[in-house]
Amino acid sequence: MQVTLTMKPRAKPFLPIEAEMINPMNFIGSQNLFVWEGNKKRRLEDIFTVRKEGNVNSPENIVVVLRGDTSRVKRVGEYMSSGTIIVEGDIGMHCGNFMRGGFIEIQGNADGWLGREMRGGSILCHGNAGDYCGSGYRGEKRGMRGGKIEVAGNAGDYLGEYLTGGEIHVHGNAGMFAGAEMRGGCLIIDGDARIPAANMAKGTCIIHGEIHEMLPTFEKIGEKDGMLVYHGDVANKGKGELIVKSKIT
Amino acid sequence: MSELLIKNAYVIDPLQGIHGDIMDISIRDGRIVDKVSGSCEVIDAAGNLTLPGGIDSHTHVCGTKVNFGRYMSPEDMRAGRTPRRGAMYPTSGYTVPTTYGNSYRYSKMGYTTLLEGAMAPMEARHTHEEFAATPMQDMLANTLFDGNWSLFEAVGDKDIRQAAAVIGWTLAAVKGFGIKLTNPGGTEAWGFGEDLASIDEEVPNWDITPREIIDTTIRACELLHLPHSVHLHCNNLGMPGNYRTTLETLDIPGDMNPDRQTLYLTHVQFHSYGGNTWGDIKSEAEKISDSINNKPQVVIDMGQVMFGRTMTMTADGPMEFRLYTLHHNKWSNHDVELETGSGIIPVYYSRKSSVNSIMWAIGLELALLVKNPWQCMLTTDNPNGAPFVKYPEIIGLLMSNKYRSKELSQVHKLTTDRTSLGSIDRELSFEEIAVMTRAGQAKALGIINQGKGHFREDALADIAIYPVKPDQTDPSLQYEEVIGAFQQTLYTLKDGVVVSRDGEVITGVANRTFWSKANLPEDMDVLKSPRFVEKFSRFYSVDLENYLVQDEYVQRGVAMNTGVNS
Repeated sequence: MQVTLTMKPRAKPFLPIEAEMINPMNFIGSQNLFVWEGNKKRRLEDIFTVRKEGNVNSPENIVVVLRGDTSRVKRVGEYMSSGTIIVEGDIGMHCGNFMRGGFIEIQGNADGWLGREMRGGSILCHGNAGDYCGSGYRGEKRGMRGGKIEVAGNAGDYLGEYLTGGEIHVHGNAGMFAGAEMRGGCLIIDGDARIPAANMAKGTCIIHGEIHEMLPTFEKIGEKDGMLVYHGDVANKGKGELIVKSKIT
Repeated sequence: MSELLIKNAYVIDPLQGIHGDIMDISIRDGRIVDKVSGSCEVIDAAGNLTLPGGIDSHTHVCGTKVNFGRYMSPEDMRAGRTPRRGAMYPTSGYTVPTTYGNSYRYSKMGYTTLLEGAMAPMEARHTHEEFAATPMQDMLANTLFDGNWSLFEAVGDKDIRQAAAVIGWTLAAVKGFGIKLTNPGGTEAWGFGEDLASIDEEVPNWDITPREIIDTTIRACELLHLPHSVHLHCNNLGMPGNYRTTLETLDIPGDMNPDRQTLYLTHVQFHSYGGNTWGDIKSEAEKISDSINNKPQVVIDMGQVMFGRTMTMTADGPMEFRLYTLHHNKWSNHDVELETGSGIIPVYYSRKSSVNSIMWAIGLELALLVKNPWQCMLTTDNPNGAPFVKYPEIIGLLMSNKYRSKELSQVHKLTTDRTSLGSIDRELSFEEIAVMTRAGQAKALGIINQGKGHFREDALADIAIYPVKPDQTDPSLQYEEVIGAFQQTLYTLKDGVVVSRDGEVITGVANRTFWSKANLPEDMDVLKSPRFVEKFSRFYSVDLENYLVQDEYVQRGVAMNTGVNS
């Protein structure tokens, strides 16, 4: 079944919409769904034109397509465990929070906190991702714990902060503090990064581009496939692995 | 004039010697009266347990320290969220909830009076502002004197009158209620990166010892006739083998004032450890409770630890640093100029940990081994041992040996060898629980004559009706019903108004703040002492005039007058 949600024109397009119920599971049956626009509770139909095609009874076969200006729609796919969400434009913050399974494809850019604390499933973002992609929320000691996030463009600051499991692959550049406080998992950046893997405890961080301001608290232990392998962050007895192509300090 | 009648209440009122009679309670204008007219509103309690409003004699709910706990743990705010509903403000947080969260959750459990365990005088305004935002709970603030330089000078001079003058002035200046000593001397030493290992070690830069500080402060408190005794958090909190320090401290007051409680030891569970290291830690609750059983002037509270996530916060800075070196999690450390300090770290108490399991057992041992319930209050030192929402579970553990044995079989196996919990079969009665959660606390705090903790005529109509019928319930078997009942009242009344019903907060009633106003003779006016005034111009970052908490911060203050016999 395909559910197409097309954004209606809004009087105040800047107001964020909290739409954690946009989750394939919720489109089985015909219950009323509500979202919050600012501090007003709205029916889903007030914000989107909803079109359903086909009929299914299991969420795996549901594809939710978001169309129009969805750059202020937050928490899409929160806690989703199966099914597919395709965003044709940009998506707002917290897309794929706590996701356990299924697939989210974003054809535009994603705002901050993409795949925050996700446990499984996969996210593919064709554009750029905002800050805190795959990280933990404020104060949380564990970020993404499983699954995969792939970003074709660039990622913002604090990419994979407190990364604990799973894989993040960014094809472009990353901002500052990628992989800070990493606890496990794998972070791959094809482009450049600035001050990566600060205070990492475990896990692997691979950077194919250039590193700016690499921390001095990483110990070089050898070379592998033309890449330099570092161990750290020794400042806090970390046992992580930082693999880099070249280093600019 | 508003009137209300509660009919068919199963009343336990230990202060009046009512041990479970079915009776009616009449209320007029927020106070208990003898009789009301026939046409007034009636609540049928239908034989359910009816107690005076609960009193928590040691909790951390308001003030800078609590607030710092809130903002260093944003992840905590994701738990316990409730949206705005009816008269309720939105709330969030589990271990350190918002002020309204504290107020509503306490109210749901039948509590109406809270004592904030530690208010730094310098930061009193913040505490009072949060008090104002904690409706339905009458508030009291214990004021920290553990590193107060003016008090230290008086202790060094062995001048009890001067110590009393400093304490009396400070309490009135910051609208505080009683004296709190937290690791006396140790907190001051921590300002120089040290701690004190015993109560006879000298405080760095001062020619005094914790023993002298405690002794002088108790004498000063007795001289001032403050409603509450000295409220003491002993030295060496949380150190294996610290029970020796606690026993020595318990001996300090001696028979100083045989007519009255002279010392309140708080969270004694954290002070009853034997052994020498974390590896061989064991319970010494038997020795501690023996000592308390022989000292009628001493009152303690449990400081029970319950398993799960929580936040530790105390003015005991060095102790928090030791905890930080164990956990390597977040840590906050704070110094309050010439007065005290504080530290905060989040912790997780786990059943799988031998140390945590032993701590859990020690708290229960204390409550069961102290023979007189009037000497042992039920607390968790919220949120240090556990958030206060765990109180009903503790009540269940104390009332049912069966539940206790079941829980004991699920904790770390060393607990049975290292503590005596398994061999205690005492089960507390509803009356003893009533003493440990309200009547005893009212007595220990000295607020009985303010109308707290009983149903005498003219008492404040703070009432909790719990959905349990004691004459038809056997708590030792039906502990789950008892826990459920204490988690959520049928009705909680504050000043004669139903504020919470079946767990739903209906309305907010403004609270009061009790504070101690010591009327001192002329020769005890510290403002005439140049040495005292000079401190403000030389050392404090605020002027004397700005130090005083203005009346507008304490809009509904109730001054409790005390004074020195001349």
